[in-house]
Amino acid sequence: MKYVRELVGGLSFVLILGTIYFGLIHLGPAKFFTAPNAQKLFYLHVPSGIITYLAFMMVVGGSSFYLYNKSSYADTLAKCSAELGLVFGFMSLASGTFWMKAEWGGDIASRFLTDMRLATTLAMWLLYVAYVVYRRQPETVNVKKNAAILGLSGMLMIPLSYFSSRFLRSHHPVIVGTEDQDSLDPSLRLGLYMGLFGFLFLYYFLFKMRFRIEELEKNYLEKRMEDA
Amino acid sequence: MRSIVLLLTILMFSGSVFAECKDKLCMTNESEFQQEGGTWHTFHYNKIFEIGTNWYLIFDYPSGKTNDTISFEFSTGLAKTHIYDPDKETDSVSFSGSSFTEEEFDFPLYITVTGPEGVDGEFIIYVHINKPSADDLFYLWGGMSVFWFAIGAYVLYLSTKLSDLSKKVKNQ
Repeated sequence: MKYVRELVGGLSFVLILGTIYFGLIHLGPAKFFTAPNAQKLFYLHVPSGIITYLAFMMVVGGSSFYLYNKSSYADTLAKCSAELGLVFGFMSLASGTFWMKAEWGGDIASRFLTDMRLATTLAMWLLYVAYVVYRRQPETVNVKKNAAILGLSGMLMIPLSYFSSRFLRSHHPVIVGTEDQDSLDPSLRLGLYMGLFGFLFLYYFLFKMRFRIEELEKNYLEKRMEDA
Repeated sequence: MRSIVLLLTILMFSGSVFAECKDKLCMTNESEFQQEGGTWHTFHYNKIFEIGTNWYLIFDYPSGKTNDTISFEFSTGLAKTHIYDPDKETDSVSFSGSSFTEEEFDFPLYITVTGPEGVDGEFIIYVHINKPSADDLFYLWGGMSVFWFAIGAYVLYLSTKLSDLSKKVKNQ
């Protein structure tokens, strides 16, 4: 049990390498795509997007628990997860931008302004940028409470971003929960699941690392306060 | 900074290097062959046959040739035959950019001049069949770099923070 974090980190590394091998080398260029090579971004873009939602949902969960019972653990969980959500969100947004430019063409800025999936996802990401920036100050009870309220706004932003491509104007493809899900080629599924588990384990590994830092920092500050 | 600007400029213009060349002036290679009887043929061509771009070969030949033919054949069986025009001294043939799908180096093009009494001369020129990289590869590598950059930078940030904190705790 001592090396669980390292084991999970190693497993994520292997799975991500496997995804890259599978997507880039094993499978040839994708069919039915304008940009058959850029389509390979699918195997990491979709998992990073899903992990972004997961990370921000953890912020919502942690924030609600904090507001409910002032749990310090829940607050730290929300804080660490928000930072990870930004990292995975950056990966998803940036890789999606490259793929979008190759597949759809056109002006990137106008796509982000007119495609609702892109606009709402960027807005959600920026909201949590604000959250992380806000938390970079001495942690008083008020700061924690305000941050939790800000973190809770994900309750609106996460579903808005996720469902925007189904109900609002968007070119972004929708697969999960549609007829296309069953028609997804099995080879695509394997790569997608490898990428998904790879990023899930990476999330766990980084989260544990970030959580450890937070605990050390708290202990250090408490000790300093005691000494003073 | 200067080298990056220079590199970007080269990359910007490198696309036009492979544009269709139909003029002697832009041909990179020139080969001269002497036919039996002492007459000369000069072939102007681009040594690199870019897949996806039509490839042209311009040839100079002695004037006054009638009924003679010149054929160009790759070892794949792809061939073009041309009848000399007695009023001209220069002519050209072209091969479609879709003639090849795979790269080949020093790929021979057999040229045969045939007169009324049979073969008058045979020459070989060698070209490289090149497969240019797909346009969307730039976006693929750009998009992929994002992942390594983000994961690498964040892990580095966490490691630095963790080691700084460990030092502080140790000194406390």
